[in-house]
Amino acid sequence: MANRSGTAQRPNGQTQGKICQFKLVLLGESAVGKSSLVLRFVKGQFHEYQESTIGAAFLTQTICLDDTTVKFEIWDTAGQERYHSLAPMYYRGAQAAIVVYDITNQDTFGRAKTWVKELQRQASPNIVIALAGNKQDLANKRLVEYEEAQTYADENGLLFMETSAKTAMNVNDIFLAIAKKLPKNEQNTGQTGSGQGRRLTEDNPDNKTVMNCCK
Amino acid sequence: MPAGNSDVYNIVQAKFLATEIVKTIHLNVSIVDGPSSNANRVLALVEYNSSHALFVLVSSRCPPVSFSDLSIETVVPIDQHFSCETEPVTEQNYVTLIIKYRQTKYEYNVEIGKESCNFAAELIRAKEVATDNKTNFTWLEKYFGTMNQSNRNSDPTMSDRSDFVIVRNEMAQAQTTNNRESRLKYQLKLRESEFTQIQEFTIFIGTWNVNGQPPSVSLKPWLSYDESPPDVYAIGFQEIDLSKEAFIFNDTPREAEWQKLVMDGLNPNAKYRLVALARLVGMQLAVMINNQHYPYVKNVSFDTVGTGLLGKMGNKGGVAVRLELHNTSLCFVNCHLAAHVDEYERRNQDYKDINARINFKRNPQAIKDHDQIYWLGDLNYRITDLSNTQVKTLLIRNEVNTLLKVDQLNQQRERGNVLLDYTEGDITFQPTYKFDLFTDVYDTSEKARPPAWTDRILWRGKGIHQVQYRSHMEMRISDHKPVSALFKSEISVIDPIRYRKVQEDLLKWMDKYDNEILPQVTVDETEVIFDLVKFREPQSKEIIIANTGLVPADFEFIKKHDEPFYCKEWLRILPYAASINPGEKCEIRFEVNLETDVENLEDILVLHLKGGKDIFITISGKCQKSCFTQSLSSLVRIQVPILNLTEDEWDQVRKNNTPVRYSVPRELWLLVDHLYRHGLKTRDLFESCALHEELIRIRNWLDYGSQDPIPGTPQAVAETLLLFLSYTKEPVIPFELQDICTAAANNFENCRQLILMKLNDIHRTVFIYICMFLQELLKYSKDNSYDAKTLASLFGDILLRDQIRNSKPQASRGKANFVYNFLVNDLSSSLLPR
Ligand SMILES: Nc1nc2c(ncn2[C@@H]2O[C@H](COP(=O)(O)OP(=O)(O)O)[C@@H](O)[C@H]2O)c(=O)[nH]1
Ligand SMILES: [Mg+2]
Repeated sequence: MANRSGTAQRPNGQTQGKICQFKLVLLGESAVGKSSLVLRFVKGQFHEYQESTIGAAFLTQTICLDDTTVKFEIWDTAGQERYHSLAPMYYRGAQAAIVVYDITNQDTFGRAKTWVKELQRQASPNIVIALAGNKQDLANKRLVEYEEAQTYADENGLLFMETSAKTAMNVNDIFLAIAKKLPKNEQNTGQTGSGQGRRLTEDNPDNKTVMNCCK
Repeated sequence: MPAGNSDVYNIVQAKFLATEIVKTIHLNVSIVDGPSSNANRVLALVEYNSSHALFVLVSSRCPPVSFSDLSIETVVPIDQHFSCETEPVTEQNYVTLIIKYRQTKYEYNVEIGKESCNFAAELIRAKEVATDNKTNFTWLEKYFGTMNQSNRNSDPTMSDRSDFVIVRNEMAQAQTTNNRESRLKYQLKLRESEFTQIQEFTIFIGTWNVNGQPPSVSLKPWLSYDESPPDVYAIGFQEIDLSKEAFIFNDTPREAEWQKLVMDGLNPNAKYRLVALARLVGMQLAVMINNQHYPYVKNVSFDTVGTGLLGKMGNKGGVAVRLELHNTSLCFVNCHLAAHVDEYERRNQDYKDINARINFKRNPQAIKDHDQIYWLGDLNYRITDLSNTQVKTLLIRNEVNTLLKVDQLNQQRERGNVLLDYTEGDITFQPTYKFDLFTDVYDTSEKARPPAWTDRILWRGKGIHQVQYRSHMEMRISDHKPVSALFKSEISVIDPIRYRKVQEDLLKWMDKYDNEILPQVTVDETEVIFDLVKFREPQSKEIIIANTGLVPADFEFIKKHDEPFYCKEWLRILPYAASINPGEKCEIRFEVNLETDVENLEDILVLHLKGGKDIFITISGKCQKSCFTQSLSSLVRIQVPILNLTEDEWDQVRKNNTPVRYSVPRELWLLVDHLYRHGLKTRDLFESCALHEELIRIRNWLDYGSQDPIPGTPQAVAETLLLFLSYTKEPVIPFELQDICTAAANNFENCRQLILMKLNDIHRTVFIYICMFLQELLKYSKDNSYDAKTLASLFGDILLRDQIRNSKPQASRGKANFVYNFLVNDLSSSLLPR
């Protein structure tokens, strides 16, 4: 019968937390575990044989924080160098990025740094960047030292965690950390494109307000 | 939903779309004739858009712990062909549920008990509401695909589809575009009981027509009549000001004066705060709430409607306040309807107008859409058919009920003409109108109006319990007595912790759902490699896109960032966009046709699924060099066929690092020379269409070189010449000179100067070379039937070709005129290179 305009109230009478929508892109050398991290985060699964991404996959996942709800639209991109030129399509307009490397592979760390540089130069200036040293479960074959990565992250203002898509270590945590760091006010999120599966480039005519606050 | 089953209920609901509501489920169902221990079926009654269907699900685990444990076995639409009966199983604690749909019969055993009774009752209820045989069951279509084949055939709806219109590509699509927020809101509403609890609030409603009398008495006897303080007050007045000023300007000092009296008169055992005050002329409505509840009030809004003079003035009409208290929406309406005994139809109309025209600035906007509505005021309905004396006699005899039978409001309500669906408590008080002022005596004036219950309070909505309904005789300043009603009303209060849990649950579930209904496709090949690609020898390759998802997949090749087009100019994609239904495939053809000098084919295409992912498709292939598509300045530097050069040699040539060997390209000379010798007398030399293979042979002859004579008829060679000139990297007259050339076209001397001054040596020589050949051709015009004009327009378009190829060939007079100059004037001396 009645269709209520309001949802819930907190005891103090304020309306319940809003839902903010953000675009997050995963970047990094191929085979470092980007798709695996997404799969772990979204579906709680891990595949030893993870099909390599040829393109950019799209998934949705919501995180509830204390006062707000953050909905991520996640773009998992192909890591191969030959698709490099297409990456801007995905990171432009993204409010968050996870740059992934494999702790057992020094080259992938180098590649991650290049991605970070590119993001700092080309992506939106307030993008929240997290660095993920993945495959932490293989620490006995480690070739990238934790301290080295941590220092690099500190110098560049990145969130940093070592993760394992296999054991789920730090996977939710890194997304959570990003969710917490993202600005939740309308001004900061309202400027970029949005919408499920929409292009991430700014020249999208379909641009819609991002703040889908649930009130 | 049985409380203990709520987890399973959620699992079952997860099998369906958010808008397909699982109304009720039944666990531990076994099929009759099946193994007796095999109680692994779940029955679910599902509603979508007010149509119902019964689903039988098989559970791989009992009870199911994830929605993937469940598979749909049978789907039965509940329409006029559906029936449901129960039959006790002798000597057992079971009952058989017999479901029939047309000729098909399904029987299930369920344990006798509350669950099975409820479930059967719900099925029968669903059947009752399904009388309209236009009910649309297309939403079921997608579930048939999920059932295994054997069941598919036995599905009742599939055996007779005549009344079962299926629109495949509509499935689930609406859902994807559905706004997430409203889905969430809707789901929250459905699960409200999980995070809300009922709390009883006392609500005091008062109404008084004060007859324009000055506010001069305490309202305590009326508003503080009850000892314990109510939680909410809604107090309505009528006729607080009968002055013309109030009527015309809708402004009166009485508003504040009465409101002060109201605030002073509220129950002294609690503190109150004004929530909203609405007034139109003499109608005033104030809503006050106990301070402690104030933080839980939100979305307050009010509106007023005049139905008086001219149907819009505020001497009659209604004022309304709406608000949400915790999780329940409340609406209070104070009205003053049309006067006079006979005018009950006007009063009905006023009521309708108020409902139609009250429009709050908040949702819901209409009165009727609130959870609880309290309707009060001077409704002005009278007692019909009885004289003043008859009424008074009955009153003295205390035959209130007899009088109430002829009360217009009761009569009109009975006929459904007004306040339909509203409830009124039993009236045990005397009529509240019309009294001599300052007395308890009914009208003794000349008019002697019969007493009437003009002042009333009614309500509509769930959980409202009236505990008092009375008049207040001691209030004597008006010709009306005030009326009040006290309610115990059930307000739904949210538990924030449980609310968050449900919300989070729903969001996760919606995520899962959203991810599941994303369009999904696979392509059989993301690398498309072409064999050696040659000039104007088209090749094509196909890939197959298969829709492996649950929804139609609309794909489209999209532009990459910073690129003007979704693919390179040598590629064509057919189709470049289309829609594929679930389970279906689509073949995409890639066609390459090389018409420019491309070293290697390299392109990455972005195949975008609307609302979903992108797939990259890499196109690659080697290209064979050809003398076609090269620049004149490169060609004059080579003495051998182009394919006889090594990559390095060619590289040097292209960079103009090697000396010019010829004044015109070797290939051009070979073609023209052949025509000199064999083609001058050929009729329609340039007009025949050579076979594609013939042109390829000549191309190869030029590119590879050969001792054999040129392999083609003069017409084929002529066409090759035209092709050669059409595809050179730059036209013979470069693009940037074409405008001044055509502008100078009507003066040969100017044209001559242009050629002399602006064209570089190579291009000038080629131009003159061709013109001289055409002049030669014109000497034989009797044989070949060409005149200068025809040749000029044919070669004008080629020598001064447009920048954009394949744009409609439109003979340009200017270009033709320019060339014409060089076909009819003497070229021998002045133009040749110094
Ligand atoms: N041991 C281990 N293997 C992983 C981990 N994450 C991914 N992999 C494996 O690494 C391979 C590449 O992973 P994938 O997610 O496809 O990498 P992507 O190319 O960056 O998307 C797969 O075989 C995964 O099973 C991890 O945390 N630990
Ligand atoms: Mg991947």
